[in-house]
Amino acid sequence: MRFISPRLIPVAALATCLATATVGCSSSGSTTAAGAAQSPGGQAKGTITWYANQFGPTTTDVRKTLIAAFEKANPGITVNLEQAPSDSDTFRSSLETQIAGGSSSFDVYNGDVVWPAQFGKAGLAQPLDSYFPASYWSRFSPGLVSSLTYQGKVMAVPIFTDNAFLFYRKDLLAKAHLPVPTTWQQLQSEAATLQKDHLVKYGFAAQFDAYEGLTCDWTEFAADAGASSVNPAGTTATIDSPQAVQALDFMRGLITSGVAPSATTTFQEQQSESLFTSGQVAFLRNWTYAYADSNGSGSKVAGEVGITNLPTFAGQSGPGYSVTGGWNLYLNPHSKDIPAAVAFMTWMGGTQAQTIIAEQGGEIPTVASVLHDPTVQAANPAFPIAAKNKLNARPSFVAGYSKVSEAIYTNINAALTGSVSPQSALSAASQQIGSALSNTGL
Amino acid sequence: MAANTLERRAARRGWVFASPALLVVGAVMIFPVIFSVVMSLSNVTVTGNGIGLSGITGANYSVLVHAPRYWHAVEFTVAYTACTVTVETVLGTVIALVLERLQAGRGWMMALMLLPWTLITVVSAELWGYIYNGVYGVLDAITQAFGGQGLNVLGTPASAAVAMGVADIWKTTPFVAIMVLAGLVMLPDDVTEAARVDGAGAWTIFWRIRLPLLRPALAVAVMFRILQAFGLFDLPYVLTQGGPGTSTESLALLGYRVLFNDLDFGPGAAVAASTALIVLVVCLAFLKVFRAQVGEQKG
Amino acid sequence: MAGKRRLSWFHVAAVVIALFIALPLYWLIASSFKGAGDITSAAAFPPHPSGANYVSAFSGYSFGTYLANSAIVSVATTAAVLCLGTLAGYALGRLPLRGKTAVMTALLMISLFPTIAVVAPLYLLMRDIGWLNSYQGLILAYTALMLPFAIWILRNYFLGIPREMEEVAYLDGASPLRTVVSVILPQALPGLFTAGIFTFVASCTEFIVALSLNSADRYRTIPVGIALFGGQFTTPYGTIFAASAVAMLPIAILVLVFRRAVVSGLTAGAVKG
Repeated sequence: MRFISPRLIPVAALATCLATATVGCSSSGSTTAAGAAQSPGGQAKGTITWYANQFGPTTTDVRKTLIAAFEKANPGITVNLEQAPSDSDTFRSSLETQIAGGSSSFDVYNGDVVWPAQFGKAGLAQPLDSYFPASYWSRFSPGLVSSLTYQGKVMAVPIFTDNAFLFYRKDLLAKAHLPVPTTWQQLQSEAATLQKDHLVKYGFAAQFDAYEGLTCDWTEFAADAGASSVNPAGTTATIDSPQAVQALDFMRGLITSGVAPSATTTFQEQQSESLFTSGQVAFLRNWTYAYADSNGSGSKVAGEVGITNLPTFAGQSGPGYSVTGGWNLYLNPHSKDIPAAVAFMTWMGGTQAQTIIAEQGGEIPTVASVLHDPTVQAANPAFPIAAKNKLNARPSFVAGYSKVSEAIYTNINAALTGSVSPQSALSAASQQIGSALSNTGL
Repeated sequence: MAANTLERRAARRGWVFASPALLVVGAVMIFPVIFSVVMSLSNVTVTGNGIGLSGITGANYSVLVHAPRYWHAVEFTVAYTACTVTVETVLGTVIALVLERLQAGRGWMMALMLLPWTLITVVSAELWGYIYNGVYGVLDAITQAFGGQGLNVLGTPASAAVAMGVADIWKTTPFVAIMVLAGLVMLPDDVTEAARVDGAGAWTIFWRIRLPLLRPALAVAVMFRILQAFGLFDLPYVLTQGGPGTSTESLALLGYRVLFNDLDFGPGAAVAASTALIVLVVCLAFLKVFRAQVGEQKG
Repeated sequence: MAGKRRLSWFHVAAVVIALFIALPLYWLIASSFKGAGDITSAAAFPPHPSGANYVSAFSGYSFGTYLANSAIVSVATTAAVLCLGTLAGYALGRLPLRGKTAVMTALLMISLFPTIAVVAPLYLLMRDIGWLNSYQGLILAYTALMLPFAIWILRNYFLGIPREMEEVAYLDGASPLRTVVSVILPQALPGLFTAGIFTFVASCTEFIVALSLNSADRYRTIPVGIALFGGQFTTPYGTIFAASAVAMLPIAILVLVFRRAVVSGLTAGAVKG
């Protein structure tokens, strides 16, 4: 009876695997980076796939509205929508696995505003300079364009931007005869008054969980106090400063004084928003979407919600800083139909798309002319407020930003829960940011 | 002579029977495992064209060894595994004993018990996150109804770890219970009967006679639970995000962050490979301690 | 008197256990009927119960597709694992192979490698075979992932069967395969049920490999589908719980309907001479 010697079986298996490994390790399918530069709006044809998570209101899918409008304006191109995971980190991991694995199953994908440097360095997004004329980028603000740039190359088309606002309960302030606060200290005392008078259970809610959102909130408080986390050149950590201690002390004070519930250190946007819409908190720091959401059908405080710029610390001028969020459109380097993809991306940064995003998506458009259009401004009370916002960006221009952000949010969260003192948290953060910037350490 | 040929033929048959399974496992898993180990020993660059490896270096492991965050993850994961697996083993055995004795309603009880286990881990984590919420969670409401202060379990390191453990135990104790139950029902009745006739009490019978016979079933259950507990990922990812700070950051969560958030495939693979090594050592030690036979078993 | 006392610790334990398991499940199901505005309610019954979440799970998302995909993948994986695993477990448990210890240890080592590290190379492997976004790719991956554990369980059960069984069958002239199927297998039914249940549940609930290999909508499984619910800032607890309740239903029904078979399957070993 012929048979294969038992000893050979593992060897054969190993050989097969090594052969596959050699194939697997080598370059993936052809990169279509050499696609000819196509003038935007040219006669591109084809079918492309847009891999995007849901944005805008949950009741209507503004992505489908956009696709319908695009296909009408570009009859030769069909766009398929591929639903992406809603969680930003899960979405990112799925993108990384697929793009590094050479996938062409999608042509354009949504991406966070803090990804250009990271994705640019890893080659996970196709630089756009050869596909777009230089004049294309002048419709966006210079700060915005520089946030999309990695080593001089533009990596994405910004489709909407997000700002943070202070949301407040108009009815409660009216009942207690209090004005809308313009400084954090004033906010804290007003909130305490409202709580003492048993008008509301909690005073203030924000997003203090150990995740990217805390980096946003921290950047705002820190900037209000005159502190920063990374120097403009991206070479040293600047987070260990007296101003930063002041900001962190204040944030921790909100919790210890009872104005913010201690559970705030476990809040992401969802929880803070739910607390506000259920009427249990007087002031909320949240993004643009919260205005429509808290005045919508599922909210118990619909019609009582006021929106204004974030406050700053006493002694500083102007409104408080708001961090810029939002989403961009990136090009998959392995896309098999770059002309059509570019046509789509071009259109998405155009007036028609931006107006749809603003009016029906409830998000702040990136094209300045659209934002200042009176019709658009009238569509959403948040937009005129946004126009007065003092903007700040997270230090996402460094390629190792994700590590910097982790250093920030893990240590700030530890301080806010009271596990460590603010000073030691900032020292630890400073040291970890330093390793992240010099690319050493875990 | 005849016996030898018989034996060789039986051995041949054994390889024929075992090969399909081993081939499938080998063909699919050997490449990824070896690739990961190789990644952990190289300078890795992730690009749009694939994963590039160059050189052989211990730098990735050196980074880990010098990172307090890594050692904290190791300590946390080991302590967490030890506690939850112990509780699950005891609780699972108790449940199995109850189920074994249950006459009426056994089917219903088993169906009920299987339900937490059929939940997707992420959903179970979301459910517990919803229960544990510090302002509108039902646990907080119950505590306040009994006159206590609000309960923010996820807000402090110790309570967050315990809360995670409870959620984990709720979901995976059925696993242990079923393994133990299946082992219990295969125990021969005669030994137990003999002991009872001899006047041994229920506890003695259980502890001295049935438990030792349950060793193989328990050993497999505990070993694979240790394995799964070491891979703790969904609960910290959804429930605590490794917080407060990094106090509940498990090895798998750390590995995920390093691999996919930071795109640091070299150190990330090193985290994974070192985790596998630690688990292997623990499992082998456990097997030795439990004296579960890996070779021939008598009878 | 003694009988009554024993009854009470055992009954108390049964009730406590049942409550511990059932209460969070009740909360899951109750919350699935809460409207978006009631999500912060901690009342024992949802204030305004509505089936809106169930509707949105199926109409807003292709949950029906995900259910079907999970069913196909899970059933196929379980069948594959049981077939291959039984043969391998039998061989490693009862046949005189040399290197058994090495094989069992190797299986253990492979299954203890963290899945997150294995995902990227696994993706490359499936890409090279051309089985990304397909049923067979995911089934193959799952079979490989779950075989080690199944082999360990099955081998254990085979070890516990008396040796005389095979000798009797051999003397009766049965072929080796026949011996396995007709004589040994029925004795190891508890092991088969255990391995089968575990594999099925694991295939239904696995997330990260399914996310990486089958990201296209047509082939998504339930866990991946649920991860898509909501938007960047909203986690729709109600819809997620509704979808999970529906996903739990088939297994719950199966176990209930066949509870006698499951119980007797698990307790089959008790019926011994």
